[in-house]
Amino acid sequence: MTAPPVSSAAPDMEVELRTVSVRHPGRYVAVAVLLVLLAMVINGLVTNSQFQWDVVRQYLTADVILHGLVRTLELTSISMLLGIVLGIVLAVMRLSPNPMLAGASWIYVWIFRGTPVLVQLLFWNFFSVLYPQLSIGIPFGPHFASADTNVVISQFTAAILGLGLNEAAYMAEIVRAGILSIDEGQHEASAALGMTRLQTMRRIVLPQAMRVIIPPTGNETISMLKTSSTVFVIALAELTYSAQIIYNRTAQQIPLLLVASIWYLLVTTVLTIGQYYVERRFSRGSARNLPPTPLQRLRGNLFNGHSTVLTATGGSDRR
Amino acid sequence: MSTQTAPQPPTDRSPENALVRAEGVRKSFGRNEVLRGIDLTVHRGEVMCVVGPSGSGKSTFLRCINHLENVDAGRLWVDGELVGYRQAGNKLYELREKEIARKRAEIGMVFQHFNLFPHLTVLGNVTEAPLRVRGEAKGVVDERARALLSQVGLGDRADAYPAQLSGGQKQRVAIARALAMQPKLMLFDEPTSALDPELVGEVLDFMRKLADEGMTMIVVTHEMGFAREVGDDLVFMDEGVVVEAGNPRDVLSNPQTHRCRDFLSKVL
Repeated sequence: MTAPPVSSAAPDMEVELRTVSVRHPGRYVAVAVLLVLLAMVINGLVTNSQFQWDVVRQYLTADVILHGLVRTLELTSISMLLGIVLGIVLAVMRLSPNPMLAGASWIYVWIFRGTPVLVQLLFWNFFSVLYPQLSIGIPFGPHFASADTNVVISQFTAAILGLGLNEAAYMAEIVRAGILSIDEGQHEASAALGMTRLQTMRRIVLPQAMRVIIPPTGNETISMLKTSSTVFVIALAELTYSAQIIYNRTAQQIPLLLVASIWYLLVTTVLTIGQYYVERRFSRGSARNLPPTPLQRLRGNLFNGHSTVLTATGGSDRR
Repeated sequence: MSTQTAPQPPTDRSPENALVRAEGVRKSFGRNEVLRGIDLTVHRGEVMCVVGPSGSGKSTFLRCINHLENVDAGRLWVDGELVGYRQAGNKLYELREKEIARKRAEIGMVFQHFNLFPHLTVLGNVTEAPLRVRGEAKGVVDERARALLSQVGLGDRADAYPAQLSGGQKQRVAIARALAMQPKLMLFDEPTSALDPELVGEVLDFMRKLADEGMTMIVVTHEMGFAREVGDDLVFMDEGVVVEAGNPRDVLSNPQTHRCRDFLSKVL
């Protein structure tokens, strides 16, 4: 086999070749359609006086609304905290070799996932009907201290119990899925090194499971932010209920619902950004190099003048 | 190229010097009997290589030694103590989790698929068990871990994550991780089977060094060259029993049974 002389191929090779990237005419059509739709929506928002944007502006930072917002944030964060902590405990119980613990966890999830959160909220609110007095003492024996149930379980406590205990059932399943996603080899390697089951869980399995657990947990948190509005059934003045209080008086339903929506959207945006950075934190070790954050990419584009996406992928080849 | 290994001082093969002793060890998974009566002895300072077709029970036997699997019948001793049980009078008491963990901590294990902890750095992988299991001081552990890492040729990769290493490097970290617990016995479960051929050598080289330093090792492997040069004993297993055992050179060059001859003809 003889190679053709280089000179015969040379004339073609000398010409500088220009690459032509694939054209995407469909994208231009899509942009045009979307621009028209966007213009229609904006036009509607601006010209339709029923939106009453002046009223929106007036109430956006009203005291009642801001108090409601703080309540909503309190409810969301405390219930989620309760849900996550209890969810982890339930998930570890469920995977325990002890059949009693596993069974108890299963029953918990069965009950709290199987009934509406609205019903659970009302149930905690009316708990005093079942047990007017709550006492601390020896089971079936004497009491050391007791208190009126309505004092111990205020509306806020009832709301936290209702939302948090319900959330724990969902979080338990999310955490369990995360734990099960970790390779059996990790358990074996830890065991072979002499680590106990609990040490393995805390130091090896859970930190890795976080990568799987965080995205749905972010989802749950955002969902909780909005589900917390259901506590209006026990007359707790969170964001939505505060807006309702105002429009029941002024009959300006649409602008006040817009006020609430704007705040919900704002908080959701903050949570989404937070989730992005938490996910990055826990993906250490899973990729050779972390991709740049949008901010880093923006900074790179502004100051380097070339794409950081390329340098990022180039960097990942490095050993 | 490996030179002919210098004749090592003969190991003391008296019963008192046995580190691992198996008598009629049996193990089933459901209806599938994987081990059907294994008898063997590994003495202190010896390297035993276990070969055989896949599914012959080699790995299962290895995992029984550090109690990753329960033995169904027969008896297994490590350093004179029954694995998984404590004998008092004529009763055997099953060990608690903590006691099992303590015994496992004295036995190092290296896996086919490395099983490094991906969320910890190389140094973190090596120091985790000494810190958490033994509760040793951080300074002492760090120093020992760095020394081990430079012994396996990875002194400069202490802060890397496992995903940034090649297969051979990962396996060397895994060996360092096991050695950080200063084990009296090392178990290798096909340590080079998941490696690219050109990376096998770097792992075997270190294992050879470890053997020369007098570490007691049980190595499940398909590397017949390693078994011939480093092994003091070779065990050929098939269908859950030890078919042939003896000096590696004798077994490999002059197999006595049909099954062993058949297997060797396929792998050599």
